[in-house]
Amino acid sequence: MSTVVPALQLDHVSRWYGNVVAVNDVSFALGAGVTGLLGPNGAGKSTLLHLLAGLLAPSAGTVHIGGRVAFGDPMVYSMVGLVPEREAVPGYLTGREFVRFNADLQGVADASAVTDGVIATVELTDAADRSIRTYSKGMRQRIKLAAALVHEPSILLLDEPFNGLDPRQRLHMMELLRRMAAQGRAILFSSHILEEVERLAEAILVMFAGRLAASGDFRSIRRLMTDRPHRFTIRSSDDRALGAALLSDPAVFGVDLLDGRLAVQASDLGAFARIVAPVARAAGIRLHELTPTDDTLESVFSYLVRR
Amino acid sequence: MRAFVAIVGVTARALAGRRRTLLIALLAWLPVLLAILVRIGGGRPDAPEILDALVIRTVCPLVALVVGTGAIGSEIEDGTLVFQLIKPLPRWLVALAKGLVAAFVTSVLIVPPMVVTGLLLGGLGPDAIQTTGGFALAGLVGGSAYAIGFTALGVITGRALIVGLGYTLIWEGVLAGILEGTRFLSVRQATLGVAAALTGEDVGEEPLAAVLSIGILVVVTVGGLALTTLSLRRFQLRTAD
Amino acid sequence: MTGHVAPSAPPAPTGVPAAPTGNIYDLGYRGYDGPRYGRLTVALALLRQSLQEAFGIGRGGRAKIAPFLLLALNTLPALLAVGITALVRQAGGGDVLGDANPIRHDTYWSLTSTLVMLFCAAQAPELFGRDQRYGVLPLYFSRVLTRLDYALARTGGLFIAILIVTLSPQLVLTIGAILGAADPVTGLRDELPEIPRYLAVCLLGSATFAGVSAVVASYTPRRAYSVAGIIALFIVPPIIVSIIAALSVPDIARVLLLASPSDVIDGVNGVLYGPLRIAGETIVVATLDGWVYVVTALGYVVGSLAILVRRYLTITV
Repeated sequence: MSTVVPALQLDHVSRWYGNVVAVNDVSFALGAGVTGLLGPNGAGKSTLLHLLAGLLAPSAGTVHIGGRVAFGDPMVYSMVGLVPEREAVPGYLTGREFVRFNADLQGVADASAVTDGVIATVELTDAADRSIRTYSKGMRQRIKLAAALVHEPSILLLDEPFNGLDPRQRLHMMELLRRMAAQGRAILFSSHILEEVERLAEAILVMFAGRLAASGDFRSIRRLMTDRPHRFTIRSSDDRALGAALLSDPAVFGVDLLDGRLAVQASDLGAFARIVAPVARAAGIRLHELTPTDDTLESVFSYLVRR
Repeated sequence: MRAFVAIVGVTARALAGRRRTLLIALLAWLPVLLAILVRIGGGRPDAPEILDALVIRTVCPLVALVVGTGAIGSEIEDGTLVFQLIKPLPRWLVALAKGLVAAFVTSVLIVPPMVVTGLLLGGLGPDAIQTTGGFALAGLVGGSAYAIGFTALGVITGRALIVGLGYTLIWEGVLAGILEGTRFLSVRQATLGVAAALTGEDVGEEPLAAVLSIGILVVVTVGGLALTTLSLRRFQLRTAD
Repeated sequence: MTGHVAPSAPPAPTGVPAAPTGNIYDLGYRGYDGPRYGRLTVALALLRQSLQEAFGIGRGGRAKIAPFLLLALNTLPALLAVGITALVRQAGGGDVLGDANPIRHDTYWSLTSTLVMLFCAAQAPELFGRDQRYGVLPLYFSRVLTRLDYALARTGGLFIAILIVTLSPQLVLTIGAILGAADPVTGLRDELPEIPRYLAVCLLGSATFAGVSAVVASYTPRRAYSVAGIIALFIVPPIIVSIIAALSVPDIARVLLLASPSDVIDGVNGVLYGPLRIAGETIVVATLDGWVYVVTALGYVVGSLAILVRRYLTITV
């Protein structure tokens, strides 16, 4: 853990609109790398990103970005790039003009070359001289990304960046973000598509109904959920006998005989891992396959939002 | 500096391309149409009457309202302002750029038709030139003050158009006329004061003194810019509707 | 715990032919077979809801500011007039104001029509523009409510709202006159001939304003355009007319008068009351025959309804 100031830091941040609490007492600190902000629609992800981007003031708590207070400090934007989801791009400008505009406002040196470079990065060179009005959703998304990259920000906030991108563009953008994170930038992106987050994020933040439900690496989060049984699927030479044998061990508290396999619920991951092989051998049963069935982000997520 | 120019350029393009700007430009040329009608119909060509009653009292504030609230307000409404705010620019710079464009576009829209109207009705004699020129100049400074004031209004409230109309129609139209002591709170009166001083024409009820009028317009302009700056500093994204 | 593996868990590992599973969960959902309300009830419900929306009721505090403020401002002069007349009478001045009082039944419309126009400009976009902007028209039209019903119900709501705004001050003046008179019966008798007159002006005026603003608002879903359009249509023509009249081109002025809804209603007012006199001076003299104004006003109402209905019959959702 480096000693530099964390790129993003929230301390007990809440944001409410009258009676509706959009963000509820959220605290975390992020550094370099890619973090995924995960949550269902309405969880408060966009609000959180807007708070980080200084476009909303927190109703309580403090938001620091790059060590400075996010709201009310325009100079913070020389190191922050934001790719908003809802905010529209001006349709009457061409892609190139829009990116150039952003570059000019950022005071980027050699704006023309940088504009061309960043447009090439998002693969919009062919369409750059058409007006944005004619762009598809995915193209608008990419031009917003280009605009956010002109000044090579050390902190990048993206709100649902993969919306409207086809699989190839999605992979391309993921690769781009990974590269940028490897350069030491802090990247936070939000999504409600689990596969995207699982593939790209090194760490996740899970939001639900305005609260932070969990943060960190999703496998470690899973391990922390001791009140949820770990589930496994086993294929063996004799499922029924194996099930009976496993049930006699205190680490296991549920088995299901399903068609062609055995579903096991274990309370303690470590203990189960130690006993499953000896138990099978003692009973003379051959194990063909053992798979954890809820070690995915999806099941972690569904546990988190159901508590 | 480059950023300032960039904002000016984009805002000007945004205003110029909007349909509402074109429609309000039509309104600005209405006095010319009237002047033509009057000339054809053989009516009395009373330039100050038209320039005063129609242009200064109606066209000027309405054009400034549409342009001013459009300079920032419409960008807030359609969401494109965000891209200009998340930049390391001091807010007064943004306010100044936007205000300048609003004032400039307003002037460009109302001054040429005023000049044409005045010439059509008054001819080219020295008196007529003074009348036309005086009203045009008053329209320039008054319209700019209006525009900058309404730009600030566009940031402060989402219903800037209605509030601005309420101000123009109710406050300036009725109340400031009834309550004598509040005439200095009316940009219209200040504009008329400037017009009266420049043209020596009788512009209806007793106009404000020239110095006071100019002072009011300066206060409105500077205050508008300051208010815009402050509002931009405290700007937060609005929830839908 | 004997539950199944959660349905959302990923399928079994490769190599095992996953048994196709399908589950139907009984959530207790049932269709409705009972009696349903008909078109009329639904249309009336939309009318009631439009009326509420026109005053911002049911939409949170900020939506109520503009309509209620304008309603209050419109009624304020009447309250002031009643109050001052009562005070003067108390001070022994009798009915000294009489004709000099500028706030009367016959003068009220032209006095405050600007406020009514602002009300239209503020609320018509809410009623006609929002449904288009948020794309909810298909939700309305896929019910027993027809497009015609929708157009009429919405306009009806706006009409009643404007009527409330225009009628309230007149009622205040009437009540004030009745209560302030020597005895209520005399007061009522004196007021009685006024009532049908101002009712007619308010009904025709509200209908005209409602129709015209509805048409503008339904063609311009974006609020700024609606507001500007409505105001332009109401405010600008009278100014043009008065200028042209002042510059003595009466023929053109007469024709242009009819293109200005607000002047037309002023004309109707003149028809019913004759020339308006304030403090002995005649302020407004109708330049056209009375029936022309009334017919034109009716024309506005019918015409705008026709355009509005056509708009909603042909709008693609």
